Amino acid sequence: MMFRKQLTAMAAVAVTLVAAACGTSGPSASGGAATAWSLTGGDEQTFRSSFDSWNKAHPDAAITPTFFANDAYKQKIRTALGADQGPTLLYSWGGGTLKSWVDAGKVLDLSDEVAADPQLAGRFLPSVVKTGTVGDKTYALPNNAMQPVVLYYNKELFTRVGAEPPKTWDDLMALVAKFKGAGIAPFSLGGQSKWPMLMWLEYLVDRIGGPQVFADIAANKPDSWSHPAVLQANTMIQQLVEAGGFVNGFASIATDSNADLALLYTGKAAMYLMGSWAYPTLKTANAGFISDGKLGHTTFPAVANGKGDPANIVGNPANFWSISATASDAQKQAALSYLKDGVMNPQYVDTLLAGGAVPPVKGLESKISASPDGAYLSEIYKLAADAPSFQLSWDQALDPGQADALLTGLSQVFLKQITPQQFSDTMNKTIKP
Amino acid sequence: MSTVSERRGPTLLMAVPALVFFTVFALAPLAGVAVLSLMRWDGLGTPSWAGLANWPEVLGDPVTHEAIWLSVKVMILSWVVQTPFALLLGLLTARRGRYREVLGVLYFLPLLLSSAAIAIAFKALLDPNFGMSQALHIAALSQDWLGNPDLVLFVVVFVIAWQFIPFHTLLYQAGARQIPAVLYEAAAIDGAGPLRQFFSITLPQLRYTIITSSTLMLVGSLTYFDIVFVLTGGGPGNATRLLPLDMYLTGFSNNDMGRASTIAVLLVVVGVALSLGLSRLARFDRGSQQEGMG
Amino acid sequence: MTTTRTRPNIVGGLGGFLWLIVILVPVYYVVVTSLRSQAGFFDGNPLAPPANPTLDNYKLVLDNDFASYFANSVVVTLATVVVTVAVSLMAAYVVVRRTDRAAAITYKLFLLGLAIPLQAVIIPIYYMITRLRLYDTLLALILPSIAFAIPLTVVILANFLRDVPKELFDAMRVDGAGDWRTLWSLVLPVTKPAVVTVAIYDGLTVWNGFLFPLILTQSPEQRVLPLALWSFQGQFTVNIPAVLAAVVLSTVPVLVLYVLGRRHLASGMTAGFGK
Repeated sequence: MMFRKQLTAMAAVAVTLVAAACGTSGPSASGGAATAWSLTGGDEQTFRSSFDSWNKAHPDAAITPTFFANDAYKQKIRTALGADQGPTLLYSWGGGTLKSWVDAGKVLDLSDEVAADPQLAGRFLPSVVKTGTVGDKTYALPNNAMQPVVLYYNKELFTRVGAEPPKTWDDLMALVAKFKGAGIAPFSLGGQSKWPMLMWLEYLVDRIGGPQVFADIAANKPDSWSHPAVLQANTMIQQLVEAGGFVNGFASIATDSNADLALLYTGKAAMYLMGSWAYPTLKTANAGFISDGKLGHTTFPAVANGKGDPANIVGNPANFWSISATASDAQKQAALSYLKDGVMNPQYVDTLLAGGAVPPVKGLESKISASPDGAYLSEIYKLAADAPSFQLSWDQALDPGQADALLTGLSQVFLKQITPQQFSDTMNKTIKP
Repeated sequence: MSTVSERRGPTLLMAVPALVFFTVFALAPLAGVAVLSLMRWDGLGTPSWAGLANWPEVLGDPVTHEAIWLSVKVMILSWVVQTPFALLLGLLTARRGRYREVLGVLYFLPLLLSSAAIAIAFKALLDPNFGMSQALHIAALSQDWLGNPDLVLFVVVFVIAWQFIPFHTLLYQAGARQIPAVLYEAAAIDGAGPLRQFFSITLPQLRYTIITSSTLMLVGSLTYFDIVFVLTGGGPGNATRLLPLDMYLTGFSNNDMGRASTIAVLLVVVGVALSLGLSRLARFDRGSQQEGMG
Repeated sequence: MTTTRTRPNIVGGLGGFLWLIVILVPVYYVVVTSLRSQAGFFDGNPLAPPANPTLDNYKLVLDNDFASYFANSVVVTLATVVVTVAVSLMAAYVVVRRTDRAAAITYKLFLLGLAIPLQAVIIPIYYMITRLRLYDTLLALILPSIAFAIPLTVVILANFLRDVPKELFDAMRVDGAGDWRTLWSLVLPVTKPAVVTVAIYDGLTVWNGFLFPLILTQSPEQRVLPLALWSFQGQFTVNIPAVLAAVVLSTVPVLVLYVLGRRHLASGMTAGFGK
C-alpha cells in the first residue's frame, strides 16, 4: 500500500523531468516560419515595412522579424548561435564577426547563388559587397544603407556663437573653447557604449597615418599598435578630453538609449560624430530639427601634416544578411527568395531613401536627388562612393576578443586612466601572429 | 521494510526529488565549471581540451587582477556601509507601534524591486544631463556620478546598499526582538545610559545576528552582477568591472568560455572559503550551534 | 514576550528619518517621471511634479506586450515556488526525522549548496540547457531556479521542523500514519508559517531574477519582466518616462502582495536566518 503511494509520487517527479526534457519539441530552430533578427533605431522602419509587405505577398515564405538594441543583439546572437537556435536571417556588419560565424560553420555559403544570379550581388557597389565575403566566398549580402561616420552639428548653436564648422583639427580645438565659453558642450558622446569613442581613433589614425596603419593592425603584424599615428591620435584625444571637448558625463551616456543624439537636438551639445544612421533615427525622434534646417553635417577635419586623404571615411559600408546553416530547408528557401526579391527592390530602396538613408545600390544618383532629403543624401552617397578608402569600423573588422580589449582600452584613454603608450602596449599583446 | 523505515524516520526516497534537482542543476554545473576551466570554448563550436593553459592567462591578466581588487573593495565598503545602518534601523523598527506599520512598508520597499528596476531608476536619476543634477543646482549633488571613474564605485556601493539594507534590517529587527526586556530593565536600574546599554547588552546579544548578516553580506558581495550590469556595464573603462561581471564579459562578450570558467572557479573558491571561515568563526563562538549560514 | 526599551531613541530616529528620505527620493522620481511627456522630460525640472501629467507612457508599455511578459513571470515564479517548496519540505522532513548518515550527509550537501554562487555556474548551465534543447523556453528558467532555491528552503524548513516535539510524530505513528500522511497532516500544518515565508522569499528571488533570463532566453515570447525592463531601454530609447512607467508597472503587483502579506515575510525571516 505504502509502497504504491511512494511509487506514484516518484512517478510524478519522473513525469515532470521527462516533460522537462521534452520541452525540446518547443521552439527549436529547425521548425516553423523563418525568422530574422535586426536592430532597433536606424533603418528599423525600412525593415519593418519590407517584412510586412513581403509576408503579405508571400504567406508561404513568411519571415518573422525581431528587433534588438545594438549591444543586446551582439551578446544575444552569440548565445543563440551557440545553442543552434539563432534566427534564419542573421544581421551583421561583415568583418570579424562574420568570419567567426563562418569558421564555426554557422552561416551558409552564398557563392553559388551569387554566381547563378548576377543581379543578386551585382546590383551593389563592389566595395560594399566585398565586406560580406570571407576568403573568396560570399556569406552575406547588404541589407541597408551605407553608413559613413559624419560630423553632425547644430546650426542654431553655431549661429549663436558665430562659428563655422571645423576644417582642421586646430579649428576644432578652437571651437571647443568657444562653445565652452558659451556654456554649451562642444561634443556629444555616448561613452558608456564605448564604440562611439572608437570613431575618433579611427578617423584620427587615418588622417595622421593613412589607411595602411590599420591594415597592418588587421593583418596582425607585430607591434602594429605602437605605430606613431596611433600614439599621436590617442594623445590628441586626451588633449581634447582635457580641453573639455566632450559633454559632462559622457562616460555614462549609452548610445543605445539615443541620449547622445538627444543632447544634439535639445541644444545641449553643438557637435556629434556618428554614423549616418543617426539621420534616420533623428527623423523618427525629432523630425522638426531637420525640417527647420537646424541640422548641419561635415566631414571629419584634416590634421596638419597628416598622410591620410581627408576624403577617406570610416564607418560601416552597410549591414548584411546571412542565412543560418542550421535552419530548415524551408526556412533557408524563404530567406533566399527574400534576399533575391524582397531586399532592395525598388520599393525597399524608396523606403530607405524616404527614411534618410542611402543604399549601396549602383546608379541611384537621379533617384536620390529626387527624394525629399535629396541634397543631404546625394552628399552622403557621393562621400561614400568617391572615398579613396572606406574603412570598416575596427571593432567589427577585428576578431571579437581583440575588439573587446580595444574598446575597453580606448575608454580608459578617454578617461585618462592610461597613457597612449600603455594603450599601445596592451593592444600589442592581443596580436597573435 | 516498513518497520525499518518507521523506526529510523521517513523513507529516504522523500529526499530524492530535491537531491535530483540540486545535483543536476547545481552540483553538476559546479563540476562542469571546473572541467570547462580546463577547456577552450568560443561558445559556438565544441569545447576542446586546453589543460591548465587558462590558469596562467587568467592569473596573469591585469584586467582580472583589477576585477578581484574591485570586488574586495566593494565587499569591504558594502559591509562598512550596510552594517551600521541595518543595525540601527533594525533596532528602530523592532519596537512596535502603529506608525511603524506604515513606515515598515516604505522602509522595506527596495526588497521588492528587481535589480534591473533599481539600476534603471538610478541610472535615470543620476544622469548628468537629464537627471537629478538638473533639478538641484547644488554643486555637491551635480557630480558625474556614473561617468567619473573615481566616484562610480562608491555610487555602485550606495545603490547596492539601497537594495540590501532592508533585508539586513529585517535580520537585526528579528534579532533585537529576541533580546529579553529584563536585561534592559536591570541595566536601567543600575543607571546605565542608552549608550552603555547598547554596547553592553544590545551588541553582545546580537552577535550571532551580526555574524549571520555579515556572512550573507560578504559572500553575497561576490554575486553582485545584475545591478552593475544594468547600471554601468562595468564602466567607465573598467572602473566597475567586478569579478562576476568580468566573468560574464569574458565569456559572453569576449567569447572565451574557458577563461570565463576559470574566473568562475575563482569565485566559487573564494565564496566557499569565506562562508566556511565565517561559519567556523560562528561555531567557535557559540559552541555547538548547528547551522552555518553561508 | 519581547519588548525593547521605551526610551526615545534619538540616533535611531534620525537614522530612520534619513533612510526614509534615501528610499523615497528615487521612488518619487520614478513615479513623477513616468507621468511626464517626452518633451516635459527634456525641459522640465526632473524633481518637480509634471506640469501636464499623462498616462500615455503606461499605455505605451501595456501596448508593448507587457501583459505577456507579466504572464511569463507569473508562470515561472509559481512553478518554481510550488516545486521547490514541495520537494524541500519532503527533504527537510527526512533530514530532521532520520538519524542515519545518509540524512546527515544530505543536510551537509544542502548547507554546502548555500555557498554556490549562481553567477559562477552560469556557463555550464547555459551549456546544459542548450544541449537539452531547452534554450529559450520557460522551463530553462524554472529548472535551475528550483535547484538554486532548494538549499536555503530545506535549511530553513529543517530548522523550523527541529523545534516540533518528537511526541507529535510518535502520536502519528501510533495512529498508524505512514510517511506521506505524516507529511501531509503534521509536517505541512506545523511548518506553515515557515512555508509561507520561504515561499515568499523564493518567489521574490525568482520574480526579480535577471541572470538566468538574460542568458537562457532570447525571444520576446519567453521574456520575463526584469529582462523586459532591460529590453524596454533599447526599445523606447530616449523615452525614459516610458521605461520608468514599465518599472512602476512591474513593481505594483509585488507591492500589493507585500502589503497584504508582509507580516509573514518579516516574522518568518526570523525562522530562517535568526537564531
